[in-house]
Amino acid sequence: MGVIFAGAVQDMVTLFFSMRRDGKSLGQMAREEIGPFGGAAALIAVLSIMIILLAVLALVVVNALAASPWGTFSIAMTIPIALFMGFYLRVFRPGRVIETTVIGVALLLLAIGVGSLIENSSLAGAFTLAPTTLVVWLVVYGFAASVLPVWMLLAPRDYLSTFMKVGAIGLLALGILLTRPVMLNEAVTKFAGNGQGPVFAGALFPFVFIIIACGALSGFHSLIASGTSPKMIEKESQVRLIGYGGMLTESFVAVMAMIAACVIEPGLYYAMNAPAGVLGTTVQSASAAVAKIGFTVTPDQLSAAAAAVQEKTLVARTGGAPTLAVGMSEIFSGAFGGQALKAFWYHFAIMFEALFILTTVDAGTRVGRFMLQDTLGNLWKPIGRPSWRPGVYATSAVIVAAWGYFLYTGVTNPLGGINQLFPLFGIANQLLAAVALTVATTILIKSGRVRWAWVTAAPLLWDVVVTLTASWQKVFSADTKVGFFSQRAKFHDALDAGKVLPPAKSLDDMQQIVTNSTVDGILAAFFAILIVAVLLDAMRVWAVTLGGRREPVLAETPYERSELWAPAGLIPTAEERSHLAELRERGGVLTGAGGQEVRRE
Amino acid sequence: MTTQRGRGVFGRVVWYLREVMGESAYDHYVEHARRAHPGMPVMSRREFERQRMDEQDRNPRTRCC
Repeated sequence: MGVIFAGAVQDMVTLFFSMRRDGKSLGQMAREEIGPFGGAAALIAVLSIMIILLAVLALVVVNALAASPWGTFSIAMTIPIALFMGFYLRVFRPGRVIETTVIGVALLLLAIGVGSLIENSSLAGAFTLAPTTLVVWLVVYGFAASVLPVWMLLAPRDYLSTFMKVGAIGLLALGILLTRPVMLNEAVTKFAGNGQGPVFAGALFPFVFIIIACGALSGFHSLIASGTSPKMIEKESQVRLIGYGGMLTESFVAVMAMIAACVIEPGLYYAMNAPAGVLGTTVQSASAAVAKIGFTVTPDQLSAAAAAVQEKTLVARTGGAPTLAVGMSEIFSGAFGGQALKAFWYHFAIMFEALFILTTVDAGTRVGRFMLQDTLGNLWKPIGRPSWRPGVYATSAVIVAAWGYFLYTGVTNPLGGINQLFPLFGIANQLLAAVALTVATTILIKSGRVRWAWVTAAPLLWDVVVTLTASWQKVFSADTKVGFFSQRAKFHDALDAGKVLPPAKSLDDMQQIVTNSTVDGILAAFFAILIVAVLLDAMRVWAVTLGGRREPVLAETPYERSELWAPAGLIPTAEERSHLAELRERGGVLTGAGGQEVRRE
Repeated sequence: MTTQRGRGVFGRVVWYLREVMGESAYDHYVEHARRAHPGMPVMSRREFERQRMDEQDRNPRTRCC
């Protein structure tokens, strides 16, 4: 539902409007179509959301790799593999991307295989890292990736991660069809109504929409649909396939991820995903905690599940990546290779997730660095120049420090970093989508297509209602599991009285919870205010336009007749085929092959 | 080597991979350069790929989960 009426609509219209404006970014469009205030608010929203996003994603990786020598080794190996690919492409075989990627993927699979040996060798200790150590490594890595030239690290990693992503998702789809697993989780758990979910607190409305995030509507897509995708598209007629179709594909992935999570025993699921503070650290304490919320999983089952994938423990491995990996290994081993390969498939899944998340983290840091340089460049010229190294180092450091801070607090948070930060990330992402839909609605109204404005206004309204309700609850709810400030008050009062409340174990823990909840609460309020401001500013523009008080000025690039002819879909229709044949007969097919002919007239 | 028409399924798969991975970018460039700027020198593959990479250095692309 979310995809069809909101997510895919957003991706498509943003792509289209950005194309009509020479591929401008969402921030630039907001400034031109709404006003300087709306533009500035959108820019701040984009930057802060990106930082939260990077922190949450990095947190997922940390939780997946902590205390797992196999996973840590194979992920660490991706860096030398990428460096090798980078030099190979640069020096020996320029442009031979496929050949290089095939070598890279082979090395990658080898690294996963060798990881199993590492786990059982004397080197295991060196690759068993504490979460806080991993944070330091990730921050160092993010900084390095942001300042090194792309050919060395970023581009080859991108090739690897694309290959792994397409491969893993294709395999998963095939595996699900082959094994037809039974969904073990209940369709509607008792947590839906009472808002006491151990993984994410809050009632089904509005939080289900916040948690699903990218699977239905993702504000982040509007950043890519403006600025990046328009430069890769040949013709406007292809917008529907790329914009709308791309989002349908994402939703397909999301549904498969849900299937993978639901094939896991519910007891195991909760033992993996509830905060460590609730579960404790042993299989016994986790089993007891799961029993308390009404599910059963015995300590032996927990140990067996961990042993099956050759991990030390699966208790409180929050973040989703280990859960998805367990689900995927379940499906894969059912379809290909049986129990013997289960541990390999688990680490294959971890590798695929960590690889593409790290690619997002390093590329995101780089993009954030450019945005910061751009913004600060308005104040002081030299810092805006990409070639001025001190500026590059300084802005990269600011960006990694920002997400590093949230990552560190997330890793050490006694309440569970993912459980605290993910709702914030979800809200931020949905609010960014609100900005995109607002810009699109404004453009529709200004271009005189008021009749069609509902197409973007309806999802906008729903998104705003849902997300602002969620923000409201996160800020004002009296339920200490939901509201950041009531949480803060609870722990602050206890701290004043010198008491330690579980899940905190010391006064330091208590202090940390108070600080984190304050920061998170302020951020939730800040995002909401920012978005309301953009919306009000846009409504002013709507009112002015609809009242006819001022002739609307659109910042659209003048129409240019395309001389390029290409089919609109993946498979050309009969009509398109005959047109192609006609064109070819007249001679001079210039480029193209296979099913997709491209030609200039 | 830019057109691989009539190579059957395998040819199409290769074409698709080359387009997706950007391996055919150089071929497209050579074709464009010959047609649009006849008589001008055409960059070697090495030069072209370097320029393409350095272009990415200046204009990073965003992505999502």
